[in-house]
Amino acid sequence: MMRPFPNRKHRLGIGLAAIALCCSLVGCLPSTPDADHNGATITVYGFSIMKEALEKDIYPAFSAKWKREQGVGVNFVSSFAGSETITNQILQGAPADVAILAIERDAERLKQGAATASDWGLRPNHGIINKTPLVILVRAGNPKGIRDFADLASPGLRVIHPDPVSSGGAQWSILAIYGSALLRSEAETGAPDQARALQLLQALWKNVISSPGSAREARTQFELGQGDALVTYELEGLLMKQAGSGIEMVIPKATIFSEHPAVAIDRNIDVAKRPVVQAFLNFLSSDEAQKTFVKYHFRSVTNEAFNEENKEFANIEQPFTIEKFGGWQKAYPDIIEGIFLNQVRNR
Amino acid sequence: MSANLSGVRHTRGFDLVKPLSITVIIAVMLPLVLLPLASIFIFGTSSGLDKFWAALMAPEAIFALKLSIVTSFWATVFNVFFGLFAAYVLSKYNFWGRNALIVTISLPTAIPTAVAGFALLLLWGPYGTLGRLLEPQGIQIMFTAAAIILANIFVTFPLAFGVIKPVFDTMSSSLEEAAATIGATRWQTFWHVTLPSLRGAIVGGALLTFARSVGEFGSTILVSGNLASRTQTAPLYIFAKFNEGQVEAANAIAIVLALLSFMIFSILFFARDWLEAD
Repeated sequence: MMRPFPNRKHRLGIGLAAIALCCSLVGCLPSTPDADHNGATITVYGFSIMKEALEKDIYPAFSAKWKREQGVGVNFVSSFAGSETITNQILQGAPADVAILAIERDAERLKQGAATASDWGLRPNHGIINKTPLVILVRAGNPKGIRDFADLASPGLRVIHPDPVSSGGAQWSILAIYGSALLRSEAETGAPDQARALQLLQALWKNVISSPGSAREARTQFELGQGDALVTYELEGLLMKQAGSGIEMVIPKATIFSEHPAVAIDRNIDVAKRPVVQAFLNFLSSDEAQKTFVKYHFRSVTNEAFNEENKEFANIEQPFTIEKFGGWQKAYPDIIEGIFLNQVRNR
Repeated sequence: MSANLSGVRHTRGFDLVKPLSITVIIAVMLPLVLLPLASIFIFGTSSGLDKFWAALMAPEAIFALKLSIVTSFWATVFNVFFGLFAAYVLSKYNFWGRNALIVTISLPTAIPTAVAGFALLLLWGPYGTLGRLLEPQGIQIMFTAAAIILANIFVTFPLAFGVIKPVFDTMSSSLEEAAATIGATRWQTFWHVTLPSLRGAIVGGALLTFARSVGEFGSTILVSGNLASRTQTAPLYIFAKFNEGQVEAANAIAIVLALLSFMIFSILFFARDWLEAD
């Protein structure tokens, strides 16, 4: 059992040298690349589909503008996930300066959790920075013959639908399906039939084979070949078409326009950073940013003329907004909780 | 080394059981482990090696890999030292509550990693039990690299201990007693007698802890903040890229992690023989 002494010492030496090497190689945290160390850093938490427009265009454009005006650039770091997920992260203390959310309800939650004090509703367009309608994506050639939301309830269809518990887009989708069923029954019988709309949601949810955490995650699953249909933002469909995915977009007769607010997380913003964060929020409503959003298939909320520029935008016959349900203050408890969570999902 | 069993013949002539059983092992592993691993490599390199290389060299990807390695390294250092100490104490002394302590150390194995992350947030988060007291001092632990290390420590807590403890248990106490009779101090005994026979277990425990930490996802996503080039580890980067639909970029990093764990377990396999050789 006993080894010759020098041998043991030798091995111990090798061991210690290896540990020292490891420490010097991997002991220090990496530094953030490409940072302009003079400029301020704005931390943005965005809901899933904001990524391309922000990272490829909006951030560089704002940083350049700030450099022209103030002589120093701005660094951005960001995290993207489902709207409810990022809201929960911020409420738990994630270091966001700005949140761009899929639904105003999350802005309301941030206010209740004292993460934000500012009244986004007083900013231009009630703090909404862009919008996009909810549509259906199907496989090339539309083999299942889907024409509208009601067709998603046909037995045996496999639907991908993000999870309304974590995704704002999923909540918009529920409202789109429910609202369009109300409008349809209203056109046929003269009065909105809530029982029929509920039945549609119930039948449709039976067809859901997967409910991913965000709209973007749902799209990835659909792109990888799962499911016959996906309810999502028009923007996602246009981005997929642009990327050459073999999909088709089905435009429902009646659908909702999702509206996305940007909120300053006042709790995390110190006095020195306040002006640049405020300028960034204002920039999001500027003509420059709005035109950029249109380029990335979001629709402008400040000027409908900008939307003419994007020839891909579909014409929606019967568009509606959250106001149809009396705003988020009513839509969330009445429809997402009262109908979807209580009578559809947990049935 | 045990006796060479392959020399013992149960049947006369050609032993059909040997190739057959090897085939069964591979056939079972194929759909469960080998093909899924292979598809990562195929998918990651399907659009050319230059694209794979570009995905790998993206600053965010490099940062994520570095962050994973650094945070896993410190979690490993802590857990190996603690595991060694705890295994020593718990096998040397018998006391009331000893078994309860052993069970508690092993507990993180069975706890879902998301729960681990959530628990850390509830304790160290800005509104957590302890975090609330640190917040006014300007100390923030959650959503920093420290949070990732804490999550790694929690999740891999039992691993090094679990590898080192059985070696202590089976270690003959006669050697330590012999050392004591020739006048060695407690520390000398530990350093010259106990520790050398533990080298294999320490290296094994360390590599296991490190490998598990590098792959940790469930707790990290909750406590790190998931900011690209700030607090995004390699597994979070993979998940983010997958969610964005950039499956190739996700696969490039997945390949690196797969190769890393292949390396770790190869070292584990060969280094143990070397360290334990007499």
